[in-house]
Amino acid sequence: MTKVDLLGRRKFITGLGVAAGAAMVAPAMAVSEKAAGVTWDEEFEIVIIGSGFAGLAAAIEAKKLGAKDVHIFEKMSYFGGNSAINGGLFAAPQTPMQKKEGVKDSVDRMVGDQMKAGRGIADEALLRHVAEHAVEALQMTLDAGSEYHPYLQQLGGHSVARTYQTTVSCGAGITQPLLKKCRDLGVETHNRAKFEGFLVGEKGEVLGVKMRQNYHFEEDQPGKVINVRAKRGVIMATGGFAQNVNLRMAQDPTLTAEVGCTNAPGATGEGMYEMFRLGAVPVHLAHIQSGPWASPDEGGFGYVSNYSIYNFPHSMAVNRLTGKRFMNEIADRKTRADAELSCRDEKGNAYPPLLITSYKDSKKHPNTKKVIKYNVGWKFESVDELATHFSVPVKALKAQIEEYNQYVKSGDDKQFGKNMTKAAGKYIEAPFTVVRLWPKVHYCQGGVQITTKAEVKDSFTGQAITGLFAAGEVCGGIHGVSRLGSCSIPECMVMGMTAARSMMNA
Amino acid sequence: MKTLKIMLALAMFGFASLSAQAVEIRDYHKDVIGKDCKACHDQGMKQYPSDESCLSCHNVDDLAEQTARSEEDKWQNPHNNLHYGKELPCQECHSEHKAKKPMCSNCHTFEYDKHKE
Ligand SMILES: Cc1cc2nc3c(=O)[nH]c(=O)nc-3n(C[C@H](O)[C@H](O)[C@H](O)COP(=O)(O)OP(=O)(O)OC[C@H]3O[C@@H](n4cnc5c(N)ncnc54)[C@H](O)[C@@H]3O)c2cc1C
Repeated sequence: MTKVDLLGRRKFITGLGVAAGAAMVAPAMAVSEKAAGVTWDEEFEIVIIGSGFAGLAAAIEAKKLGAKDVHIFEKMSYFGGNSAINGGLFAAPQTPMQKKEGVKDSVDRMVGDQMKAGRGIADEALLRHVAEHAVEALQMTLDAGSEYHPYLQQLGGHSVARTYQTTVSCGAGITQPLLKKCRDLGVETHNRAKFEGFLVGEKGEVLGVKMRQNYHFEEDQPGKVINVRAKRGVIMATGGFAQNVNLRMAQDPTLTAEVGCTNAPGATGEGMYEMFRLGAVPVHLAHIQSGPWASPDEGGFGYVSNYSIYNFPHSMAVNRLTGKRFMNEIADRKTRADAELSCRDEKGNAYPPLLITSYKDSKKHPNTKKVIKYNVGWKFESVDELATHFSVPVKALKAQIEEYNQYVKSGDDKQFGKNMTKAAGKYIEAPFTVVRLWPKVHYCQGGVQITTKAEVKDSFTGQAITGLFAAGEVCGGIHGVSRLGSCSIPECMVMGMTAARSMMNA
Repeated sequence: MKTLKIMLALAMFGFASLSAQAVEIRDYHKDVIGKDCKACHDQGMKQYPSDESCLSCHNVDDLAEQTARSEEDKWQNPHNNLHYGKELPCQECHSEHKAKKPMCSNCHTFEYDKHKE
């Protein structure tokens, strides 16, 4: 990125008033120690750190397999991490809904799509393992009471429609039932409990963890550190590090505090870094993904993200300066985020592009009403009204709409080769709804290396570190350069379940 | 030894005067709590009150009822919201001695007129 771009971006983001201050606070020093001689304050069968999809799925599976004593520790005051604010989009191949809608899909096909987005460096074995068990994970959510929209979606980079979404269009539609299920099964859940380091045995095996109790995030509260013995082992499900500006800038200096972020505040990465100190292999840390569907008009993921994810297939994204399209609206995330970042005014300042959708099509998504109501999106009765509001050259815009509608008709996008299947019959016609687009830091592809048994590998021996398992976003290398949308939920849940199976079968 | 005692006394005096003057207490709490800091600080004065502390007087279900919104916006109820149900600890949005933003404002532009920031 050039100097000019950075400046433009900074000015632009400051204007948004993004609450970046919170993200700057460095996590307290964490250290692992030898367990020899320590007194154990508590002794549990299975210790899980983190209460997102990965942690919750691991706990439920462990209980199902007969574990007596399962404990989840969460450093925040509330449970659920990124998973509780997630978009609720869940991809799986060969699902009941695909059968009903006549969509032909397979494990191979899903893995193929992901390998392509991974640009040659994704982990095929792990992707295959996740795809093979994705339906089991979906079933776990259904058993716990999750409800899904009665239709499938085809997200960017996916070659078929294979994505379910919760009726509340949020991951909370999964974490809330799973959390309840955990408690019904007798899983103990502890909030304000921060993992501070491992306690390791003579051979480097993980015997337990140091936990700070009564921890208040970002506040100066003493709390108390206790030593917890984990008889079957520890599952690290602590998520990504997108909120830790120091760490993410160490990987990608363009991701400064001024760049927005969709993550929950707890995504600060100390769990992952502590595993590195123990010897875990760092993979792909610099591949940090920005979401191309976010809006500069609200904080975090907000309402627009899901609105635009749903609408991209039958919408047109245009550059305000030219009135023309500038990308395939359903290309993978990196392609689109990069294209959006290139939309700048003459001075090089950020000039967020527009997503234009026919109201008749956008209104099917429950967020459309909210997007308009909370002033993060707008409704227009004509092209002229829209063009005036955003100072788009009206002639060029009209010509682009006409051209795009030809592609809707022919099913062949001559400009960007977009797959027009889901756009069939959905012409861009007034009245319109419009949102502004700008990427936000969203997902950390990098993390610790794991095996298909969710074991954490040691960098020198190449062997699994005894007693240590990891699942979810804290793991790296699975998706390669770019994760496809809706592929994290299946990964987190399947690897959480896998970790529990590995422990219980050991 | 003597200096230590003096320092200690000074520190305690500082603490006492701080709690008597500088610390803001919400008007509606003054009648009920008065100057009994321990009414809320159930974990000792150096710690924040526990998550359960507020709940010794307030009832979550009542609060949820008081802040209920229409069917369409029902999940924007801060006391029974989409992401965390009724489980969000009070201290995420409320503070007795300083102003705080509601947690929702991290991602949403909702308005909570009665919330004291
Ligand atoms: C806004 C948003 C929308 C998304 N939408 C989708 C989607 O629709 N579909 C999809 O597939 N993916 C989506 N993703 C990605 C996906 O939600 C995340 O990758 C996933 O939730 C990660 O789950 P996890 O269990 O690994 O971690 P998390 O859910 O983040 O949970 C990790 C937990 O560990 C806790 N923790 C961290 N450090 C410590 C510590 N030291 N001690 C104790 N606890 C600790 C954190 O506080 C957190 O609660 C979205 C992500 C975001 C941010």
